Amino acid sequence: MSALEKVATDPLHDVRAYAAGFEHWLAAPPDSLRAATAPLPNYADRVSAMAAMMRDLHDAGWSRYGWPEESGGLGGTILHRGAFWETLSRHHVPGMALFEHLEILAPALVAMGPPDFVSQALPALLSGQELWAQGFSEPDAGSDLASLRTVAVAGDGGFKINGRKIWTSWARYATWCLVLARTGTPESRHRGLTAFIVDLRSPGVEVRAIEQANGTDELAEVTFDDVHVSDARIVGHLDGGWKVAMHILSHERGTFAWFRHCFLYQQLTDGLEHGGADSDAQLGDALLDLAAVTTTSHAGLHAHAADDPLGPKAAFTKLLLCEAERSVNSWRYDLDADLAIGVQDDETAMRRQEYLFSRIVTVYGGSQQMQLETIAKQTLRLP
Amino acid sequence: MTADLHAEAEFLDVARTAFASSDGEEALRSLGWWELLAHLDDPELRPAIYAVFRAQGSELGSSAALGGLLAQPYLEHTDRVAGSVMSAIRRRSKTRGVVWVVVGDPADRELLIDRPGAGATIVAAADVSLRRIDVPGRLPLHEIQIDVDVLPSTIDEACAATARERSLAIGRIAISLEILGAAEKALELAVDYAGQRKQFGQAIGEFQAVRHLLAWAQTDCVALDSTALHALRLGDDLPVGFDAVVKALAGRNGRRACERSLQVLGGIGFTTELDHHHLHSRVLALDGLLGTAASLSRELGLSLRTGGRHPGFPSALLLADG
Repeated sequence: MSALEKVATDPLHDVRAYAAGFEHWLAAPPDSLRAATAPLPNYADRVSAMAAMMRDLHDAGWSRYGWPEESGGLGGTILHRGAFWETLSRHHVPGMALFEHLEILAPALVAMGPPDFVSQALPALLSGQELWAQGFSEPDAGSDLASLRTVAVAGDGGFKINGRKIWTSWARYATWCLVLARTGTPESRHRGLTAFIVDLRSPGVEVRAIEQANGTDELAEVTFDDVHVSDARIVGHLDGGWKVAMHILSHERGTFAWFRHCFLYQQLTDGLEHGGADSDAQLGDALLDLAAVTTTSHAGLHAHAADDPLGPKAAFTKLLLCEAERSVNSWRYDLDADLAIGVQDDETAMRRQEYLFSRIVTVYGGSQQMQLETIAKQTLRLP
Repeated sequence: MTADLHAEAEFLDVARTAFASSDGEEALRSLGWWELLAHLDDPELRPAIYAVFRAQGSELGSSAALGGLLAQPYLEHTDRVAGSVMSAIRRRSKTRGVVWVVVGDPADRELLIDRPGAGATIVAAADVSLRRIDVPGRLPLHEIQIDVDVLPSTIDEACAATARERSLAIGRIAISLEILGAAEKALELAVDYAGQRKQFGQAIGEFQAVRHLLAWAQTDCVALDSTALHALRLGDDLPVGFDAVVKALAGRNGRRACERSLQVLGGIGFTTELDHHHLHSRVLALDGLLGTAASLSRELGLSLRTGGRHPGFPSALLLADG
């Protein structure tokens, strides 16, 4: 009898049964999970460890819950995925390292991608075999994404892509990149964009990793020089790329907060022995920030599970997640300045990475100022 | 969930209209609130019962609702009916030690005074001396002027202890919603003002510095709204201590939203000509009841550090019960 069959109740229709079953299975965790919980400041090492763990969790079935059967999953909703990552956080997996795209990009692929391709690509991502990058930003198109200039011109049963993307997350480690390119006129703004699935191994693709201030190389600059893409690799429809981008951003800003904040919570609980009475108020304050993320992102998960995404309201969740990220890491920094001035053993180096990262989250995935503008315009209806 | 949200919004609209158009006691009567109060355990009716507090906050209404709600868990040990008894709230004054505060006008009612360790007592409000707490906020506030320790016990300690725990949890959520209502109204005043007030030839709401201040205030309110309503939906499944999370967040975010709104309103917001000062003062007063944000945050930190888990921790249980 397999591990899954031992679960008495139905994990597919009962998230609690699923979580209990997964927890039970983790009582004897695979070696790969133990390896992934070690502090690995070298990002490439962390990616390998995570890929190995994800392979095991895919093969055992646990990571396939929450994804439709036609895409290689076992059925269920985003709530299963919420429980999956929450459980891993409690088992001291330090973050999603590169599998963030399961909760940012993959939902859009499943909803709007070519079904034949997705049914192969999702299992390959879930099992850590083929990873993904998101090619949105360009040197001259950051917050103003609709001004992007990478072009895709039709011909030869497909498109030729030319242009340059920057801050392309995880491109160095990825096989596939979701590229937002202009298929309309230069003036078409958001109406003339299309989302393409580009094989980063194609001729004409060049990836240059960007080493970040916290020592990781998660981001990259990617150039496309006459890169051929088949028209079967369009997500959504031609000139419909903005809808795909908004789907992705609504996850990145709304539901993703749930997944990320589980790890922040664990960062707090793992650091408790360093705390003291004089920092309890600061710790409590960080807990309030986390609670705000718990409840707003919980609402976001349920809205997505009910096929009723948050829309512009995701801006609140994004702002609140950044606040939590900052307050948790401020607390850790204030308790022990080793991350700033101490010998950088693996654990300290990881804390340093997390701390510095918490100082840039207000830029990623839509800057804090853009979120505030969204709220000012769409919620407060200011002039 | 969407249907629930609509129902909650409808209750709130009705309650706001009631508090805006009549005095608080009349509003409660017209809403049939005292009859509803007996159904506190009914998840369908719970949002309506608590919507009254949010409405009371935004409309600067005053009533015996909070005292009545706090007294409700004790009533099964008495022959009193909902609405006849208001619970006084214990707080600690830095200079005067433990004092008892009555929120709302207690005329013709009885007061319930719960003394941890010595049971609860019920006395007629007319039989105790009450000293008015003179702060803005359009909230009748009084301190009880007698030595409560000499009063005979009406409800013994064993019964009172159970009721006390529940009373504290529901009271914290009710007060949090009243803070939310007041903070939202303060923000509404500031948003209206930013759309009208012109400087340098344009509405100040066109300046990003002002827009972002208001967006932050709205974010403060959304965080509180989401957390308080989450607590209401969980009802009896509320993790122990989550009421403290809600109340601490209310005190912190409510004050912050008022301060941000004040900054946008400018000097006029700091006068008695606008209601902002009433809303702000009400938030401050309510922060001081059943645990301030400062004291509760410290306690939450302490309990996590020394005891392990935090009540707001994400869990599959919370996920499943949305």
